[in-house]
Amino acid sequence: MKYMVMMFGEAATMLETQSKEWIVEMIDFMHQLDQDLRNAGELVASEGLADGSHAKTVTFQDGSTLVTDGPFAESKESVIGFWIVDVEGQERALEIAEHVVAFTHGPIEVRQIMDAPPEV
Amino acid sequence: MRTDARTEDLLRQLAPQVLGTLVRRHGQFDACEDAVQEALLAAAVQWSEQGAPDEPRSWLLTVASRRLIDAWRSESARQRREETAAALELTSPAESSDRDDTLALLFMCCHPSLSVPSQLALTLRAVGGLTTAEIAHAFLVPETTMAQRISRAKQSMKATGLPIEVPPPTERADRLGVVLHVLYLVFNEGYATSSGPALQRAGLTTEALRLARLLHQLMPGEAEVAGLLALLLLTDARRRARTEADGSLVPLAEQRRDLWDAAQIEEGVALISRTLGTAPVGPYQLQAAIAAVHDEAPSAAETDWQQILALYGVLERIEPGPVVTLNRAVAVAMVDGPRAGLALLGTLDTDDRMTHNHRLDAVRAHLLELAGDLPAAREAYLRAARMTASLPEQRYLALRGAQLG
Repeated sequence: MKYMVMMFGEAATMLETQSKEWIVEMIDFMHQLDQDLRNAGELVASEGLADGSHAKTVTFQDGSTLVTDGPFAESKESVIGFWIVDVEGQERALEIAEHVVAFTHGPIEVRQIMDAPPEV
Repeated sequence: MRTDARTEDLLRQLAPQVLGTLVRRHGQFDACEDAVQEALLAAAVQWSEQGAPDEPRSWLLTVASRRLIDAWRSESARQRREETAAALELTSPAESSDRDDTLALLFMCCHPSLSVPSQLALTLRAVGGLTTAEIAHAFLVPETTMAQRISRAKQSMKATGLPIEVPPPTERADRLGVVLHVLYLVFNEGYATSSGPALQRAGLTTEALRLARLLHQLMPGEAEVAGLLALLLLTDARRRARTEADGSLVPLAEQRRDLWDAAQIEEGVALISRTLGTAPVGPYQLQAAIAAVHDEAPSAAETDWQQILALYGVLERIEPGPVVTLNRAVAVAMVDGPRAGLALLGTLDTDDRMTHNHRLDAVRAHLLELAGDLPAAREAYLRAARMTASLPEQRYLALRGAQLG
């Protein structure tokens, strides 16, 4: 089953509150995780996103489309990276998410990717 | 390089036999598989140009063995001694037939100690003879990911020292159950999933059918193997009628029956008819029998629901579970009216196993619609649409619900 593991956060806060050492360690951690998931035959894709402060949001208002600055969600933290993994079940997807959260302390949302379950 | 279709069929038929024989003689699944791959490649080139040799299996076995020995020679002497010792231990004293070697290979790939994704990938590769790229395509993952998955499965095979053998009678029924389940999952992966390129997915159902046929040839006396093959034939027969050109789902009752594959239905019905009664009945045989009743009905209205209800009753007795109850509720509704079906569905509301299953609400919606309670039906359709993880199903349920609004 495929899952999207979405990491939430904000680059500015991270830069203000974390040490250089931590950031280097975090980058290594992410590289290692990608490598491990690839070796396990579980990685479908993974990307880091530019900070949410650079996001543009397109909405439909008063009969036409409108482009505004900033991420769609009201909260300060938006998606800053994601993994798409193909794993045996939800339990494993959550295990991956917990592994990341234990390191970053930031929230992660785990969503199943639409697919068809067996019929019978 | 192009391989003509005849050569390709022949190679795919021989590949598991040759691999099974080689692994049984020498152990070392990994090295043997590499050697067989090289032999197949050589054969594809040579046979397409010059035709197949008189004894194609011996040809492949000879070439693969030679490659295996070459590979061992190039390694260090110390390693070679260890491997030779290991190979000697693993060599069984008596030669066995091609039939046993293919079977043993299939049981090895479907060993319960491997994860389900590994079982699927290994079976398709070692027994089905698909390339890693083809398997990756079918499961919509990058080729490197699938290559890693297969290589990890091989490592864990090596680490646990999985035996290549047809399991002894005491374990046979359980182990066969896993093999059947793997083939069933491969089929479903192709049949139920409509995401991704449709042709690739259809390839998986074809492959599952081919492997089920092979298994049935190898174990003609196993009633559940025949049951699975019949079930796959009878289900796959409806494939063309099951989706519109745009990929949207068509429910069984609304399918154009002239699009069903009559020859495949005939084959499936004949197979299940001759199998039932030869051994204690099992869940695959019962599901095949139910599929046969559907497939034999000239129209949805003429479906023999009495018989389907009786078959679900037996299925529920030998393998009870919420999904079986759910299906029986549909049959009850068709025989005794939608309210009776809804009452049976109600018994599943407290079943934890159904909490996240959209099918409970989907069936409820359908029965409420039949009962004429349209507002409640609409709500149930929309609840089911939110819960399903299948894109085509979500579209179908949302449209069905919206249409009642």
